[in-house]
Amino acid sequence: MRKECKISMPLYKIAYAVSFVILLSLVRGVFYSFEVGIALEPPMAILTAVFCADTYVMEIVAKRSEIWRLYPLKKKLYSIYMRLFLQQFFLLLLAAAGYGLFFLFQKPRVSGVTSITLISEAAQFWIFLASSLVTIVFWGIFSNTIACIFRNMWFGIGASLILWILTNSTLGDRYLGKWNIFSYSFRNVENSSDFGWICGKIICICLGITAIAVLPKIIEKRR
Amino acid sequence: MGIKIADLTVTFKNQVTAIDHADLEIPKGIFGLLGENGAGKTTLMRVLTTILSPTGGTVTLDDIPYSKENYEKIQRKIGYLPQEIDLYPGLTVQECLEYMGDLSGISKQIYRERIAYHLEKTSLTEHRKKKMKQLSGGMKRRVGLVQALLNEPEFLIVDEPTTGLDPEERIRIRNLLVDFSEGRTVLFSTHVVEDLTATCNQLAVMKKGRFLYSGNMKELLEQAKGHVWICKTTDETKARELEKKYHVSSKQYVGSELQIRLISETPPEIECSSCEATLEDAYIDITNR
Repeated sequence: MRKECKISMPLYKIAYAVSFVILLSLVRGVFYSFEVGIALEPPMAILTAVFCADTYVMEIVAKRSEIWRLYPLKKKLYSIYMRLFLQQFFLLLLAAAGYGLFFLFQKPRVSGVTSITLISEAAQFWIFLASSLVTIVFWGIFSNTIACIFRNMWFGIGASLILWILTNSTLGDRYLGKWNIFSYSFRNVENSSDFGWICGKIICICLGITAIAVLPKIIEKRR
Repeated sequence: MGIKIADLTVTFKNQVTAIDHADLEIPKGIFGLLGENGAGKTTLMRVLTTILSPTGGTVTLDDIPYSKENYEKIQRKIGYLPQEIDLYPGLTVQECLEYMGDLSGISKQIYRERIAYHLEKTSLTEHRKKKMKQLSGGMKRRVGLVQALLNEPEFLIVDEPTTGLDPEERIRIRNLLVDFSEGRTVLFSTHVVEDLTATCNQLAVMKKGRFLYSGNMKELLEQAKGHVWICKTTDETKARELEKKYHVSSKQYVGSELQIRLISETPPEIECSSCEATLEDAYIDITNR
């Protein structure tokens, strides 16, 4: 696990991811505490897509994929999944830290003061974390899968960016509604009992499972 | 036993034929594969490592045909060192090899023993805690060799392992290949003739996807016998004419005279003497017939 960690998360990747979250928490203005999750989720999605795009493709770039060809498929897949897991775990921790940084730098008004939302601060945080978990896992798998198909991390990043622009927009909200993969960010914050946004997260989970299921075929074909 | 290639053809999607109806038998021991850049050596190696599927023909390894259902069995018998490889720069030598041993599906205890043994053999034991990015080109190549040997392959394929190395490191790599060829087949691809002179008895010469020669090195040298000439001249115009007319394998100034070594089936139209053929001469002779 330590080796996978060193391989998939070199210092420069950790540095840009941490800098990104610190900068975001400094420059993205929020007024109420419930806005923190909304401010963090979409940027974390694109950060994940960039971060995870080279999970397997780095083997192709470094010409190690020709040696990987000789390894058993099970071992190769275990290694890729482990790298994804480690990167996504790091990004989830970063998202949680970013949530705290927003409070530190922006000092938003908490729910009790505004009474716009009745959910407690702790519950808001855990909901954000659960939503971020799904978001991070989905965008990581999606970006890696597309990169593997085209044997190029820029395709993974590019495709993710297009999907991000399409879904994280008024258009995406209008046409996809609660089925939008960014449904958490577009949820009705004034109605705290409305958990319809979970539908969008279910879509993320389904797409993620599909991508994981096709990955073995892609790795065998696009080695 | 060994590798048998029959009527092998590899044509890419862009209709370029990299290997054109080639036949070859690679016996146990170290076997040289010589050819200019673009001759098809790397394509052949990619077929032998199951990275590429041939368009036509058959390949067998120890009588096991190369077919999708046998790929797993074949892959377990192969060790491969590609021409250019960047092994995990952030890992130490030991970590890198352990990681690759793990990926090979070998048990931890076995790959640790093998790593220790091969690091000792390749004089890398003292560097095992260094990061891969801190190693010299030659050391990296040696680590590459060790990773190719971790699964104790019956068939070791090395693609131009000496390219870009200093003379000392080249000799070291060549000697290691000879050591590792004991009891297994080693296919040593290169375009550096002297690497093969120093290591192989058996070789094949490739050009434009075809084998021009395969067999004993002595026989290849025998074929070039009487085709190698040394001429001396002080006249530069004459020297240039000779270069246009014949294949010159070397030229050098000896005092004020220019000594030209040229390849010709018939005696050149200038005063010259016949001399012993080197592998380089034989290679130029066979590739320019």
